[in-house]
Amino acid sequence: MAVDTEDARLVALQRLGMLDTPPEERFDRVVRLAQQLFDVPTAFVSLVDRDRLFYKAKVGLEQDEAPRDTSFCRLTIEQPETFVVEDATADPRFEDNPWVVDDPHLRFYAGHPLVAPGGHRVGTLCLMDVRPRAFGAQDAVLLRDLASWVEQELVVDDELQRAAQVQARLLPRSVPDVPGYGVAGACLPARGVGGDFFDWALAPDGLTFTLADVMGKGGAAAIIAATVRAVLRAASRRGSVADAVATAEESLALDLSGTSMFATAFHAHLDPASGAVDYVDAGHGLALVVHPDGRTTRLEAGGPPLGFAAALDPEAPPPPRDAARVVLGPGDLLVTFSDGVLDVLDGTVASVDEVARGLAGARSAADAVDRVLAVARGAADRPDDLTVVAVHREAP
Amino acid sequence: MEIETDLRADAAVLRPAGRLTMVTAGELRARIDETVAGGHRVVVLDLADTTFMDSSGLGALVGGLRATRVAGGDLRLACAGAQVRTVLQLTTMDRVLRPYDTVEDALRAS
Repeated sequence: MAVDTEDARLVALQRLGMLDTPPEERFDRVVRLAQQLFDVPTAFVSLVDRDRLFYKAKVGLEQDEAPRDTSFCRLTIEQPETFVVEDATADPRFEDNPWVVDDPHLRFYAGHPLVAPGGHRVGTLCLMDVRPRAFGAQDAVLLRDLASWVEQELVVDDELQRAAQVQARLLPRSVPDVPGYGVAGACLPARGVGGDFFDWALAPDGLTFTLADVMGKGGAAAIIAATVRAVLRAASRRGSVADAVATAEESLALDLSGTSMFATAFHAHLDPASGAVDYVDAGHGLALVVHPDGRTTRLEAGGPPLGFAAALDPEAPPPPRDAARVVLGPGDLLVTFSDGVLDVLDGTVASVDEVARGLAGARSAADAVDRVLAVARGAADRPDDLTVVAVHREAP
Repeated sequence: MEIETDLRADAAVLRPAGRLTMVTAGELRARIDETVAGGHRVVVLDLADTTFMDSSGLGALVGGLRATRVAGGDLRLACAGAQVRTVLQLTTMDRVLRPYDTVEDALRAS
């Protein structure tokens, strides 16, 4: 294989993001089926890396990887068809191959290349046996069908990654310059894409910022999150934060009730001169002001999540959205975060206090965001999306 | 999700056990709908064995509340643990889905 082609192939393989990842049922299932259909002791999905095979799924193999240079799979990916060796001991190419002369004394091999999006052959679906076997045209068709199934699973993930990239680009890409204030935010979806987002926009009269969390997880939540973001952005261009949330809720009512979904949101406007923050909290309830002496004030939600009123009674007028106000003094820090943060703790109000304690002494908005993320980073399993926005009024 | 059902003369008591999340919310929602369709307009959810509820679980409660109300009944919560109460408080949904301390309290409420 030419070096440039091989480099491109390795890039395509890396892009799948599957090397050294744990077993997944969606691949294990195909391998089990192949093993049973062909009645062989060993079946596996390999990904062919620069100098090794990584087994993404396997039956009848102990190891997780093997050297590439002695593998049969290295030959499989060099051509587009099923590669079959009916009896390796009768094939001079394998007369001193360790798979054949040593344990497991392989005799039969059939492998079909796996093609990644873009056309590179990045891996194989293989069968192995310690007995010689015949492999007919029907067998080849069946193995090819199973291999296309594995390829589809590879693509599903590829599409998710592209969706994740697009969603990441819907987040603010620069930090607004508000003299006397620091602003920071972060969003970590639990599975590629998610229902959380944050947003901010600089206007002549100050900074508008938002954190929202759409019910559920994954792609469905992400579609609604993008809708909520767009509607809230448009509505924020004129009027107060209360008007913006009310207008957005009206526009979203049918979308949310039609999908039986809802969204919590913290939507605020900062007047830099006075430090006044006017905010509407729609069922979010997770915003804190941390004072320089370490005391914290919790800002409570003022009304239900967006879409709840319509879910209960589509005929009812939308609930009033009144803004509340908190004034940031010098050194005060306003932090709002999504409930994914609570889920990695014990999920009760006590975990809000734990986050608050972790924020005491935060030196800047970026430091506050890091501290909230650090709470979650310690958790082995992060079940929900995790988002934080912080606004810090610098001490003179 | 295991959901024990106790049909009484004036109400149905459902007792979902385990985690009420995106995985199980649909199941609870379907069970509430069945119960209402079966003629029980007042449904009490006994959450004593519900160990965790996320936003999807809350969505199921709201959907269930609507289903009972449309039928002229009500959905009431009982025995919710600290985590479930936190979700209700943070979202202000405890204003419409008030958690009662016991199933009997919930049955008596009107």
